[in-house]
Amino acid sequence: MPRPPAPKSKAAKASGPPMGLIGAVTAVVVALVAVLVYLAARGDGLDASGGANALPEGGGLVVNPDVENVPEVIVYEDFQCPFCGQLEQTSGETIIEAAEAGDIKLTYIFMSFLDGASGNESSSRAANAAVCSADAGALPEFVLTVFEQQPQEGVGYEDQVFLDAAESVGVEGEQLEEFTSCVEEREYQSYVQDMGERATENGVTATPTITVDGEPVGQEQMQQLLSDPTSFESVLAETQ
Amino acid sequence: MSATSVSESRTAPEGGAGRRARVLDLVGLLARLVLGGVLLVAGYLKLVDLDGAVRSVVAYDLFDYEVAKFIGLTLPVLEVAVGVLLILGLLTRAAGFGGTALMVVFVAGIASAWARGLSIDCGCFGTGGPVAPGATRYLEEIVRDIALAAAGAWLLVRPRTPVSVDTLLTRRSRYERND
Repeated sequence: MPRPPAPKSKAAKASGPPMGLIGAVTAVVVALVAVLVYLAARGDGLDASGGANALPEGGGLVVNPDVENVPEVIVYEDFQCPFCGQLEQTSGETIIEAAEAGDIKLTYIFMSFLDGASGNESSSRAANAAVCSADAGALPEFVLTVFEQQPQEGVGYEDQVFLDAAESVGVEGEQLEEFTSCVEEREYQSYVQDMGERATENGVTATPTITVDGEPVGQEQMQQLLSDPTSFESVLAETQ
Repeated sequence: MSATSVSESRTAPEGGAGRRARVLDLVGLLARLVLGGVLLVAGYLKLVDLDGAVRSVVAYDLFDYEVAKFIGLTLPVLEVAVGVLLILGLLTRAAGFGGTALMVVFVAGIASAWARGLSIDCGCFGTGGPVAPGATRYLEEIVRDIALAAAGAWLLVRPRTPVSVDTLLTRRSRYERND
């Protein structure tokens, strides 16, 4: 009589989970999480619309879109950054005058990475209000006026500041109503996010930054703009 | 090498070799917790502000935006993972290698920013980007990262540490094997 086959051995297996397996599983899980974070956070393209005078793909708000063959100046600011406030107070008007005289093409790209500092997403809301103000045709003056009211970093703006600022630069009637609902409903929030990403994509990682035809204005010249209201012309000439 | 110290610590309970092994054990534990803790905190601070993490990488001005974005979004996951493994003492040798590799890359990045005359914060703890020209702390950042790389290298050479999941697992399997 033939012997029955021996029962399969259970003890032959090494006990406990083998380190190789743990390592492999860990590596796969980590890679998976990394990919998920990447997919979730990479954004869905810069396709939000920003209303009047807003360039596509988060390209910012143009003050004077119709000029040609002049240096293109882009001002990157966060409404909560103290040095942006100082820049606007010192050189904001000179820069706007240069745009109105047709000497430069002026674009604002508003970043909102200081949102976390205020607890009420103050930078985003201010940037949204600025996009709304462009719809009302009040863009550069509105930006200047809001920066004049800039609270201490971390305190944040109330919506009322934006409404008052719009009124003080002459937005009224139906336009004021539209502006108000645009601010309260944060109509351009997606565009505001796109501006932030566009700024990073342009290599701008801090505010205030000014570029002339894509070239960033150097530290020294930025210091001049922050301290001397008449320096913009010479800085522009040096940077070109 | 680690096998010798294991037997030493078992067979010489009060001798000099046993004490030496215990000291080495403690150094390893310290290396694990310091490197793991720093990586965990650094990764966490980036995960809660991923846009900031991407900006930090962009500020090095080394990669195309899409590449910088990929690094900025995935690096914090890697840091947290290596940090957790080190704190748990799981896969200690591999995690020590991972930690060392990360630190070597960081040192290279910081050195390159320094050499090119950039004025940036390393962004190691999620607050990267330009700083005033006089406010860079490259040397300090590099020294710190080299010390952390050394901690990782220690674990790569001598991964056996007390209070670790690795020890629990090897003990269990040894026990079952003898059973």
